[in-house]
Amino acid sequence: MRRYIVRRLLWLIVVLLAVSLITFTLMHLVPGGPWDRDKTLAPEVIENLNQRYGLDKPVHEQYLSFLANAIRGDLGVSYIYQDRGVTQILLGGLHVTATLAIAAFLIAIGIGVPLGIAAALRQNSWIDYVCVFFATVFASIPNFVLGVSLIIFFSVFLHVLPTHGWGTLDRVIMPAFALGAYPAALIARVTRASVLEVLRQDYVRTAHAKGLGRAAVLYRHVLRNAMIPVLTISGPQLAYLVSGSFIIEYLFAVPGIGRLFMQGVFQRDYGLIMGVTLFYAFVITILNLIVDILYAVIDPRVRYE
Amino acid sequence: MMTYAPRSYLRGRVPRKKENMPKFGRFALLVLLTMGLVAGALASACGPGTRAPSPTPGMAEVQELRVNLAGEPATIDPNKASWIPERTVIMQVFEGLLGFNQDLELVPVVAKQIPSVSNGGISQDSLTYIFHLRNDVLWSDGQPVTAYDFEYSVKRLLSPELSAPYASFYYDIAGAHAYNSGVGSIESVAVKAIDDYTLQFTLVSPRYTFLHLVALWPAYPIRQDIITEYGDQWTEPGTYIGNGPFIMTAWVHQDHITLERNPRYWGTPPKLAKITISMITDQSVEYAAYLNNELDISRVPVGMEASVMKDSDLSLELVRFPQLVTFGLLFNVTKPPFDQKQVRQAFSMAVDRAALVDKVRSGVGKVAYSWIPPGMPGHQPDLGLEHAFDADKAKQMLVDAGYPNGAGLPSISFEYPDTAGSRVTAEFVHWQILNNLGVDISLEPMEPKAFSQYVNANHHMWAFSGWGADYPDPDNWLPELFRTGAGNNHTLYSNPEFDALVDQAMAEPNYEPRMALWRQAQQIVVEDAPVIFLFYPERFVLAKPYVKDLKTTGMDGQIVGDLFFKETYLLQH
Repeated sequence: MRRYIVRRLLWLIVVLLAVSLITFTLMHLVPGGPWDRDKTLAPEVIENLNQRYGLDKPVHEQYLSFLANAIRGDLGVSYIYQDRGVTQILLGGLHVTATLAIAAFLIAIGIGVPLGIAAALRQNSWIDYVCVFFATVFASIPNFVLGVSLIIFFSVFLHVLPTHGWGTLDRVIMPAFALGAYPAALIARVTRASVLEVLRQDYVRTAHAKGLGRAAVLYRHVLRNAMIPVLTISGPQLAYLVSGSFIIEYLFAVPGIGRLFMQGVFQRDYGLIMGVTLFYAFVITILNLIVDILYAVIDPRVRYE
Repeated sequence: MMTYAPRSYLRGRVPRKKENMPKFGRFALLVLLTMGLVAGALASACGPGTRAPSPTPGMAEVQELRVNLAGEPATIDPNKASWIPERTVIMQVFEGLLGFNQDLELVPVVAKQIPSVSNGGISQDSLTYIFHLRNDVLWSDGQPVTAYDFEYSVKRLLSPELSAPYASFYYDIAGAHAYNSGVGSIESVAVKAIDDYTLQFTLVSPRYTFLHLVALWPAYPIRQDIITEYGDQWTEPGTYIGNGPFIMTAWVHQDHITLERNPRYWGTPPKLAKITISMITDQSVEYAAYLNNELDISRVPVGMEASVMKDSDLSLELVRFPQLVTFGLLFNVTKPPFDQKQVRQAFSMAVDRAALVDKVRSGVGKVAYSWIPPGMPGHQPDLGLEHAFDADKAKQMLVDAGYPNGAGLPSISFEYPDTAGSRVTAEFVHWQILNNLGVDISLEPMEPKAFSQYVNANHHMWAFSGWGADYPDPDNWLPELFRTGAGNNHTLYSNPEFDALVDQAMAEPNYEPRMALWRQAQQIVVEDAPVIFLFYPERFVLAKPYVKDLKTTGMDGQIVGDLFFKETYLLQH
């Protein structure tokens, strides 16, 4: 297992290098640069700006100097937010985005897993229909639409929750739910199907025959096996949470780093784009690694070399 | 039926392990119930409550204005700032030598009076300007504001390392252009503090709008010691020292900025004790926040103007006034068929602007037949009416130009930035040209930055674009856009007669004759039609009825009335 982890970490470095090169190339190929705006800037000003940000150097030199700084933890400067470095900006908003993603994930697990299990245990009962209905509805609604609907219902109509912001529970709950609803729906469906399948297995019948109570069977045999597919989809779900946070943060004005990515692209902020992209590549790769390790922990049949 | 082994029965038979705890299904229901209860508790404990009752006379106890900036300002360093949201913050915290009143006339602020030739503030040759500063203006940390702060600021603005976008506006100062281009020295820049309260500028050539430039934010004073000590990080609360009516007490990045009354402000203290600036990016969420009483002023999302006007409560909270902006359709006069004036005029007469404003834009804005908008000096309301909508005349003009019913025209593409407002206008124009001239133009939506680059490089054929005032004078509207080879001339229009008039106007010291020359110059532009002038937009925002003395001007920043927030106050509500 240790060798496996070390190998994956080495691949992480390769992935980051590849992502940085591709992003850098695409960024510079896209039409429109950071200084293009409706009111054309004077040529002298543009020259000063290019000099200040090193854009007058040949492209490969820019890339290499970016790499040299990135290795030391300096992700460069933002062209939009000129008074702060990219690393500083990312660290400032990181805890917010992480909290949002974790809260959304907890909601997803907290709703999806119990609902799925309850539905599977009492198939074709009212809770089963609730589960399937919930899963279908929230898997179909785009998170942006759900977010706006929540705002309209709870803020404008009922006046019980604030529309935007961050910090207190009443501000966290709507964005977290809007972000976590889709994974919740997916997890509910997968859990239900998985538990149903496991319940029909011979070893479960054997366990009952041995005299184990329902609770014991559930915990010792059913759940552990049923959770494997759920864990499998968790990886992509985490990636979804990361990218979904862009839109949700934009909508609910959550001061995280998701918004920065979209802003950076629209305004051609090369510094911010490179820093945020690399950061997200790093996070997703590490999360996938954690999921794969957990996979091996839960399922003893899985062995890594 | 679900059976559940009681604990007493299990004890001794099944070991007390985690697996033998109560069923998951029940647990899940418990969790859901708890969440419901928590939500209910939150509902009763928090939430701003129902709609505000009608206001009663008398000022509110808590004078806190809550507004929205639609995003984090990029930089609030006055020398570096160039975007409108940044100006909103800067205008509250800083004041310059001169300012504007509600009629957009220049007024003295930190300067004791406006320099003129008659009071000796401007030399006879109009090249030297002397400002006498008040001696009672303080920085928010108690230090006096001196002429050295202004000298430092202007020189910093022009430094090539800072690469300030608005540096080029101040090239009239002797030595400025050379210094900013990296070839001159800072000592050669002709702005000098003669003593603590006297500041002198020397220009390269007369610029009769120089006073307007001095009133703009890039020339606000800056503290040299703060910059030396804190560098780029000086724009954080605590070190963001200004001389204006408010100070910035908090800035949670991407979340909000808090401004509070400056106790050391030299002028009349603002009635507002606090301004909280949120950073909601989405227009609909901003509007929802206003409806939920979280904001006191809000924009109206595009497309919702009609429904707001019909709403009995909201229609009373509307604030509308014209912006110093003109939107038009820019031709590229070097690309056929738009190199022919008759074709341009034909297209101009084929667009029913009144329908655009009244039906498509729900009456928000005014029809434009000329370039300089109402509210700007130099606006000519009767100019250009001969190009008003007339489908038959348009068809005839096209025939005269040699393209009967559009036959023989090369394929025409119309470029526009792919935003909600532009899309609608583009489709309208397309339909008008098709309907009234029989010509099918192809619409080319472009990503906003790509569009900017496209137009800046003059690759377009015909593009939807606009221009907003930096300061209220025609010399910000005509030379920069229509002079041969000017930086913002993206129609590639070139008319020596126009150029000559511009030169004359720029050299004319007296106001009335100068305005007369500008009017003549604008007439030429309107006649030559390198641009189809479409409409003058207007601000269309909602403000709570208890917000009093919200003084709107054409030089407002992002938020309506922000130039005069120091005079706004809140009634009890």
